[in-house]
Amino acid sequence: MSQILRQNFFELFGLPVDFQVDERELHTAHLKLQSAYHPDRFVNASDQEKRIAVQQAAMVNEAYEVLKSPVKRARYMLEVGGLDIQNDHETTSDTGFLMEQIEIREELEQCRNCNDPMRGCEHITRKLDRRSREYADHFEALFEQGKLEDARQVSKKMQFVQRILEQIDEYQFDIEDHLI
Amino acid sequence: MALLQISEPGQSTAPHQRNYAAGIDLGTTNSLVAVRRSGQVETLPDEQGRHLLPSIVHYAEDDILVGYPAQAQQASDPLNTLSSVKRIMGRGIEDIKGLSNVLPYEFDGSRDSTVPRIITRQKRVSAIEVSAEILKALASRAEQSLGEQLAGVVITVPAYFDDAQRQATRDAARLAGLKVYRLLAEPTAAAVAYGLDQQPDGIIAIYDLGGGTFDISILNLNKGVFEVLATGGNSSLGGDDMDNDIGEWIINEAALERVDASLSRQILIAARRAKEQLTTQDSADISIRYRDLSIQLSLTREKLNELVQDLVKKTLMSCRRVLRDAKLTKQDITNVVMVGGSTRVPLVMQQVGEFFGRKPLTELDPDRVVAIGAALQADVLAGNKADQDILLLDVLPLSLCIETMGGLSEKIIARNTPIPVARAQEFTTYKDGQTAMAIHVVQGERELVVDCRSLAHFELRGIPPMAAGAARIRVTYQVDADGLMSVIAEELSSGVKSDIIIKPSYGLTDREIETMLRDSMAHAQVDIDARMLAEQQVEARRVIEAIDSALAADGRDLLSDDEYAALMEQRDRLFGVIESANTEALKKAIKAMENASEEYVARRMNASVQKMLAGKNIDQVEM
Repeated sequence: MSQILRQNFFELFGLPVDFQVDERELHTAHLKLQSAYHPDRFVNASDQEKRIAVQQAAMVNEAYEVLKSPVKRARYMLEVGGLDIQNDHETTSDTGFLMEQIEIREELEQCRNCNDPMRGCEHITRKLDRRSREYADHFEALFEQGKLEDARQVSKKMQFVQRILEQIDEYQFDIEDHLI
Repeated sequence: MALLQISEPGQSTAPHQRNYAAGIDLGTTNSLVAVRRSGQVETLPDEQGRHLLPSIVHYAEDDILVGYPAQAQQASDPLNTLSSVKRIMGRGIEDIKGLSNVLPYEFDGSRDSTVPRIITRQKRVSAIEVSAEILKALASRAEQSLGEQLAGVVITVPAYFDDAQRQATRDAARLAGLKVYRLLAEPTAAAVAYGLDQQPDGIIAIYDLGGGTFDISILNLNKGVFEVLATGGNSSLGGDDMDNDIGEWIINEAALERVDASLSRQILIAARRAKEQLTTQDSADISIRYRDLSIQLSLTREKLNELVQDLVKKTLMSCRRVLRDAKLTKQDITNVVMVGGSTRVPLVMQQVGEFFGRKPLTELDPDRVVAIGAALQADVLAGNKADQDILLLDVLPLSLCIETMGGLSEKIIARNTPIPVARAQEFTTYKDGQTAMAIHVVQGERELVVDCRSLAHFELRGIPPMAAGAARIRVTYQVDADGLMSVIAEELSSGVKSDIIIKPSYGLTDREIETMLRDSMAHAQVDIDARMLAEQQVEARRVIEAIDSALAADGRDLLSDDEYAALMEQRDRLFGVIESANTEALKKAIKAMENASEEYVARRMNASVQKMLAGKNIDQVEM
């Protein structure tokens, strides 16, 4: 894997390193890049070029996935900013945040046993969505001020919230599955 | 859409030369071949004007029949007449046991191979060899019709096929002597045919219920780009199962106690006929005569609906899951397209319509649409200039995982991740001086490894001996555009690439394929060694030509003096061995040349794309 594209994901997509990303623009850029790098463009090339094309197209896909997701994008921005996030432990020392997490998990637990779990889930989701937006704004501000370490802490909170949202989503799907 | 034209070395695009390519729909019950000529894409009929080729192969004493002639033998000689083998592609002997209703053959799982063989009068054959016979018949139909050799083919596979099933399909093509441009997901192929016909930008759902497989894919169509957002399904669910349900009903109604293979086949044939009649009729008569037995029954559409409703419900559950994976609701879907012969069953049409809240489209022949889409893509990949360029972006249908402690599966690449994709993982050694380690890769969504499909055991060897925990081995899992996986391992502190020994869980080894090739070649009186040498010589010339034209085009701009010298050394060495009759030496020299030029070729490919995008914002590039 020596020959991946020597650019960061933002450069590859022709974007500034900025938390604000226009999803449509990103998608258009992605299709343009794939139409240049996709292995189908190299079916008649040598085996070697085909192999390289697979790796390059894979990197374009990877870049798109990272840039599309606010949480991954935030983490990646820190990496571009010079932080080592590969070995980052997913812990936080913010006790206020931890308390809130515990509360939400308890709420979710209660919701599983209540009369209308779907509505309960929707309520929690709304609350978490609000939180997501707050954290994202906070991250953006800290990053712009060059406070990368503080931004890193906020990015971890974004990860936490994201994970719970995914769990709730999966849970809601299961409830529906049983109703059918 | 002006194509981002990359004229790469080795990619000959001589303006007048037309490469003929075919799209092949290798189906469970029927197969088709389509080609594009004079701007028209059409499926090709046989001499009697029949477009479908029944996916049936009959092994006589010393003859092989394919298609209708084979089908004619089905009732009288069921054990030597193989149908629906697609259901056992990439499967192990234990998977097949559950399919004994649909596949009443004698299997030989005792041999020293992970691929089960069916025992026929002539020989023991794997599903891969049977499929190769079908592919050969279709390719020869295309070549006769075109009067030209095929440059390459696109073969369709169910979107939900896993790695082992896809690999088996590729192996079948290799045995048939075909160059495969691409394995294409069936619903994606259907979307291409549909999209180029109707030009509808938007989000479409392709509901594809075939003879033995079910796929549901959601695609975003945008100016010739077909982007799969999510796919789901069941690679062991289809019209065969409906026939089987009807067959069981017949057995119950007629109070049959003993059913031999021949009667069983007749019952299934009658069941299918009744099912097909019920597409337009309210009831169908079933009449079976076998020895002194006479069965007369009437099946109503209402009863049929009752028999297949569970199956239809299963497909709708997959539709729900796939919508969710695509993060969409039913309201986001602009059109629903029906593909596959089994969508002719009225209950299917009705329930799918109700589920999506809109009438499904059936303008295109559900039997032919997949082959037509494949032919369109094949034509583009063959390098023929199309009126409209197309780009197909697909996803991984099932998560790739590795086995961790306690038999748990850990996801490496989640399902519905766009492909190609590469993900790396770091491992370390747990013993001093450890030089090898094993990785078990599986595919599926379940938490336990035993509930997923085992793909392969990878054994990494040649890790430099170090203290426990000091080695850092990066393992990269890669899935190409065909949905096929490969693994690369590298020790990071020393940069040593590990040798990887792959033991596929359900697949032919290279040696088995070679033996099969040799056997089939012996039959055709062609020297396989000569062919392999010729293939390597062609590849060697292509590699050299690629480097020469690259250097001629951009001089040494992208190379340091050392790099240039190393490159030329390998180039000249390779050039020196082309004419030698040593296939192995040639392979090695090609490999060495590739290693020396890897960095340069990549830089160049990248630079050519960059040049196109340079000076413009990416969204200003005309598509």
